[in-house]
Amino acid sequence: MAGRSDFTVSIKLGIGQYVATNSFFHRIDPRVKIVIGVLLIGAAVSGNSLLGLGLIFFLIWCGLLVSRVQARLAFITLGKMLPYLVFLALIQIFTVPRFHESPNVLWQWRILIVTGQGLISGSLLILRFSVIMLGLSLFSYTTTTTQLLHGIEHLLRPLQRLRFPAHELALVVNISLRFIPILAEEAEKLMKAQASRGADFGIGRRMGFIKRMRRMFPLFIPLFVQSLKHAYRLVEAMEARCYTGGRGRTNLINLRAERRDYIALVVGIIIIGGLVTAGLFNIDAFVWRIFNTRV
Amino acid sequence: MDKKLRKIVIAGVMGGISIFLGATRLGFIPYFSGASLTIMHVPVIIGAVLEGPIVGLATGFIFGIFSLIQAAIAPTGPADVWFVNPIVSILPRLFIGPVAWLVYRAVRNFREIPAFVGAGIAGSLTNTVLVLGVLGLYRYLPWKLIGTIAVANGLPEAVLSAVLTTAVIASWRRIETRRGGSSV
Repeated sequence: MAGRSDFTVSIKLGIGQYVATNSFFHRIDPRVKIVIGVLLIGAAVSGNSLLGLGLIFFLIWCGLLVSRVQARLAFITLGKMLPYLVFLALIQIFTVPRFHESPNVLWQWRILIVTGQGLISGSLLILRFSVIMLGLSLFSYTTTTTQLLHGIEHLLRPLQRLRFPAHELALVVNISLRFIPILAEEAEKLMKAQASRGADFGIGRRMGFIKRMRRMFPLFIPLFVQSLKHAYRLVEAMEARCYTGGRGRTNLINLRAERRDYIALVVGIIIIGGLVTAGLFNIDAFVWRIFNTRV
Repeated sequence: MDKKLRKIVIAGVMGGISIFLGATRLGFIPYFSGASLTIMHVPVIIGAVLEGPIVGLATGFIFGIFSLIQAAIAPTGPADVWFVNPIVSILPRLFIGPVAWLVYRAVRNFREIPAFVGAGIAGSLTNTVLVLGVLGLYRYLPWKLIGTIAVANGLPEAVLSAVLTTAVIASWRRIETRRGGSSV
């Protein structure tokens, strides 16, 4: 009998993709990375400039190379998504024309119309996804969970003064992430226990729908109930250790911003700002016109 | 027991379950020909019913953020292309908890068990309707297809949510009243 057990859940938890190569990106303060990450997602989703997005895609690629992480995995995943991306882009290309007043039709076959706007819309879709995907992959390669949690808590701290429950939210995220391995263990134990009582189990198995539903309940319901018991125990444990809330709480590890962090922040904001303005001022059309006049 | 701390921990634990179900794909119950029913929103509903709308909001937020991150880092299908957009993945999920809680409170005056069922259905439908609605508004999908998905996928998912929610909370409440029992 070869290979790993049907019950090993923890292998599937592929979230921790951190690769410790101590590059420039690794050493940037996690707060800067979080801020840039959020801005990047916002800009990539709303930006309208193909050039801008393409440039950022290229820059992130450089970033992946600079940080010396095995970027191959990210690109392989992106490659796997390519068929879906193309398919969805095609949907966009063929459905967008219905909402434009004066389309410049490039190609037509019965009811399928391809317009310039449609092509741009489709390409934007592909680029948006790729930018966010590579950007977040770079982020996950260069940031540990602990750094991430510290970053979130420190970032949200100034909001505490505005009576926003920053510390509480950071604690919730903390508990969520730290609870996952416990859940994996519980799930494994439950599956083994049920299997030893004759239930048909295993992660990789393929089964009919009704059967899968039926075997699901003896797993999920105890999982939830056990988790709730864990939760109550955790509350008691925290109270027993005199946890009194976030007021006046200090940390063992304090994030200190250095000059390279400020530089990274400024550079990041400039680049993302560039993307947004390129979209607003229609730089694409401008560059297109320059090209046309030259050629 | 400090109520606020309990809310924080329940929100965290439910969030962790949601992430766990998503990351291990255990939360995807294969249905027909590739599509699956998901149950990652069920912890959000349970958290909201047990501890209130704010806990539901926080857990929904964690569910949303994690579905965005997973779509970006480990995408597996066309849906993940849409889910990198926070308006699709995070915004609708914020409403699951509060809506489920409202329905729970409304039906609770009638009887407990139907209240759990109602909350489960309402929370799941909120997820389905809002996510598909945003996809439609963005014109990622034609509306007719969205309607088909909502009925073919959304309704069974709502039933499943209701069953799970009721089963879990009913078990939990019975356990809670049995003080001094062994928890091993």
